[in-house]
Amino acid sequence: MITFILKRLGSGLVVLLTVSVLTFVLLYASSGSIARNILGDQATPEQLLVKEAELGLDQPLFVRYFSWLTHALRGDLGASWFSSEPVTNSLATRIPVTMTMVITAMILIAVIATLIGVAAAVKRGWVDRVVQVGAIIGDSIPGFVIGVILVTVLAIQAGLFPATSTISPGAPLNAWVMSMTLPVIALLINGVTGGAQQIRSAVIKQLERDYVRTLRSRGIGEREILFKHVLRSAAPAGLTVLSLQLIGMLGGVVILESIFALPGMGPLAVTATAQSDLPVVMGIVMYTVVVVIVVNLLVDLLNGWLNPKVRVS
Amino acid sequence: MKFGPKSTVVAVLTASALALTACGGGSNNGGGADAAATALTLGTLNDVRSWDPAQAHVGHLLQPYQAVYDSLLLREPDGKLSPMLATAWKYNDTNTVLTVDLRTDVTFSDGAKFDAAAAKANLDHFKKANGPQMPQLTAVSEVKVVDADTVELNLASPDPSLEYYLSQAAGLMGSPKALETEGIKTEPVGSGPYVMDKASSVKDSQTVFNAREGYWNKDLQKYTKLTFKILADLTARTNALVSGQVDATLLDPKTGKQAEGAKMILASNEVDWQGFLLLDRDGTKNPALKDVRVRQAINYAFDRKTILDQVLLGQGTPTSQPFGKASGAWVEDLENKYPYDPAKAKALLKEAGFESGVTLDVPTYSGIESLLAVLKQQLADVGITLNIGAALANTFTSDVASQKYTSLYFQLFQGEPWVAINQMVSTKALYNPFKNTTPELQAKIDAVQTAGTEAGKAAQEVNKYVVDQAWFAPLFRINQMYYHNDKVNVEPQVQQAVPSIYNYSPAK
Repeated sequence: MITFILKRLGSGLVVLLTVSVLTFVLLYASSGSIARNILGDQATPEQLLVKEAELGLDQPLFVRYFSWLTHALRGDLGASWFSSEPVTNSLATRIPVTMTMVITAMILIAVIATLIGVAAAVKRGWVDRVVQVGAIIGDSIPGFVIGVILVTVLAIQAGLFPATSTISPGAPLNAWVMSMTLPVIALLINGVTGGAQQIRSAVIKQLERDYVRTLRSRGIGEREILFKHVLRSAAPAGLTVLSLQLIGMLGGVVILESIFALPGMGPLAVTATAQSDLPVVMGIVMYTVVVVIVVNLLVDLLNGWLNPKVRVS
Repeated sequence: MKFGPKSTVVAVLTASALALTACGGGSNNGGGADAAATALTLGTLNDVRSWDPAQAHVGHLLQPYQAVYDSLLLREPDGKLSPMLATAWKYNDTNTVLTVDLRTDVTFSDGAKFDAAAAKANLDHFKKANGPQMPQLTAVSEVKVVDADTVELNLASPDPSLEYYLSQAAGLMGSPKALETEGIKTEPVGSGPYVMDKASSVKDSQTVFNAREGYWNKDLQKYTKLTFKILADLTARTNALVSGQVDATLLDPKTGKQAEGAKMILASNEVDWQGFLLLDRDGTKNPALKDVRVRQAINYAFDRKTILDQVLLGQGTPTSQPFGKASGAWVEDLENKYPYDPAKAKALLKEAGFESGVTLDVPTYSGIESLLAVLKQQLADVGITLNIGAALANTFTSDVASQKYTSLYFQLFQGEPWVAINQMVSTKALYNPFKNTTPELQAKIDAVQTAGTEAGKAAQEVNKYVVDQAWFAPLFRINQMYYHNDKVNVEPQVQQAVPSIYNYSPAK
């Protein structure tokens, strides 16, 4: 077990390193005009040279990457070229906002999608048809459209929620809950409909298996069959979908965070990329890769715990 | 009128909706009516990069600095310069020495005293801090302390915009004790009407200021609390304004309609011009542009009024000149110099020997696609092909400087005459990358530089020259759509999309 985790973490590190090299090289191409972007259109050529030297842009790519890497290994991701704010600071204030939103949405999606999916699989008939149609409708409306509708109806017209985030230092829990409700609902709808579909088909597939027939023939109750056997066997499919959704959500929150002015990773990623703010982009990419590695590892461990068949020896 | 059961239900629903709005609507001002009247929340487009005053910018990027930093000169909403930290200022006869008298009763929020040495420290710091507006003090060769309340600015060459600059980024005064420190990047220390509440501020989310006690000029301090809420997204700004989370913010013609539906008030202001910059006037890469008749033909090809009404919902004024109305360089007769005249455009092209066609290459960028499509059609009608290329990248300014574009469709700020000349006309200007000039034009530019207070008038000649020579094909001056609610009075500031911080006051 421990070796498994260590192996996975080891391969994760390799991925992290590869991605960092690739990102650095790709961004290098556009960093030629950074000094111009920072100083604006009135800067003189002399000003630009001073700025480039200050940022170390006159160094070769190789030197710059290793300087970044050695600092990163010591936990220093550098500072934004534009705002001079340390990257670790930006990440530390923004990750909690995005993660609160994503994790809350994920937990709700897992619970609601499982309930709906299982209900559709077990009851079939009209329940199933409603879930199927709902899934198509839910899947076809992008999250940000749902977000805009929610703001217009519930925040601006009804005044039930703040239209944009009121999260600030020392803000009461209430402000977090009120500010997060609408974006979380917008994130939820796509996730729930997609997740419920997958769970439904996984459960139906299991219910048709021979072992279910055998269990039934031995007089074991439907409830026990469902919760003790079928759900366990259907879990890997559901978990995989949920983990993919979580990773997809890291992209989906970008637009929602902008619309709701939530101080999360999304707006940071957009501005940093548009400006080629290399230290910040590197920080964001590292964060994303770490999240993906951790989520995948957790899903594997959870799967093993739920279903001994897939457990690694 | 009797109240039936139905209207009772309606009344209850309305009352509860109102109650919910009050508690859940994220209203920024708790407390009684008095407290409400003295808190101001503004929706801004982006956070400042550094609070070091030498890193301040222009326009809407200047406003937050005005909350904490006083400037030497105060620019009134109409552009007139008034005393602020400077009580008087005067040039010598050759416009090469500016003597500035300073106030003696001002302190910074860290207790340091404002005097001539502090002013010198700030100006010297600005000259070497490599901020975005550093060129504002390029002409100043030396700052001398004459006595405790007088400084002398020696100029290497006359700069007719210097007084204006002293009301802008270059004039912002920070505490000399904090200037060279790391701390001032994240926490400003100035002598201005407000002090930053660092504990309540979050980078890129909100910046909170409280009124500074004992501020020397109560007339400029109209609120007890000032919050900048950073809303980069246009939809977020619109929603925040109509739901009452912010008192004022910058929108665009489309979202403006929504704001007007919610009874928001428009304080519009023409700040930029939009049109073609026909950059390659010597025909280095696009030979057709060398011929003034071709450039004039381009100008005659557009039905400016109709395009403005259809594409930009009428938010602006058609024009043929690139200089702004408030700059002093604006000339009434040039306003409609190139009316819509396709026949004349065709005749000019024929005369120039280009009846077989002219191609104009421009890059595109987000938001102008539909406008470019209309312009392409109108140019095609007179025999000019508008070739719309790749979108502008974030290497844009370097691309312009390296002569990548022979022409551009763009929107440029309309500043003071000398600023505008150095932006798009002189050989040093970024938007004159092919460094076009003639002795005649250079003489006119030199006349502006030495004209002192008459710079605007002298710049009219430059304006006439570039319009006659069709250096550009200006189409319209664009309205900036600044909206606010009825709790605040807002006076637009000339040449700024977003008003100066002094232009807001509680509505009585």
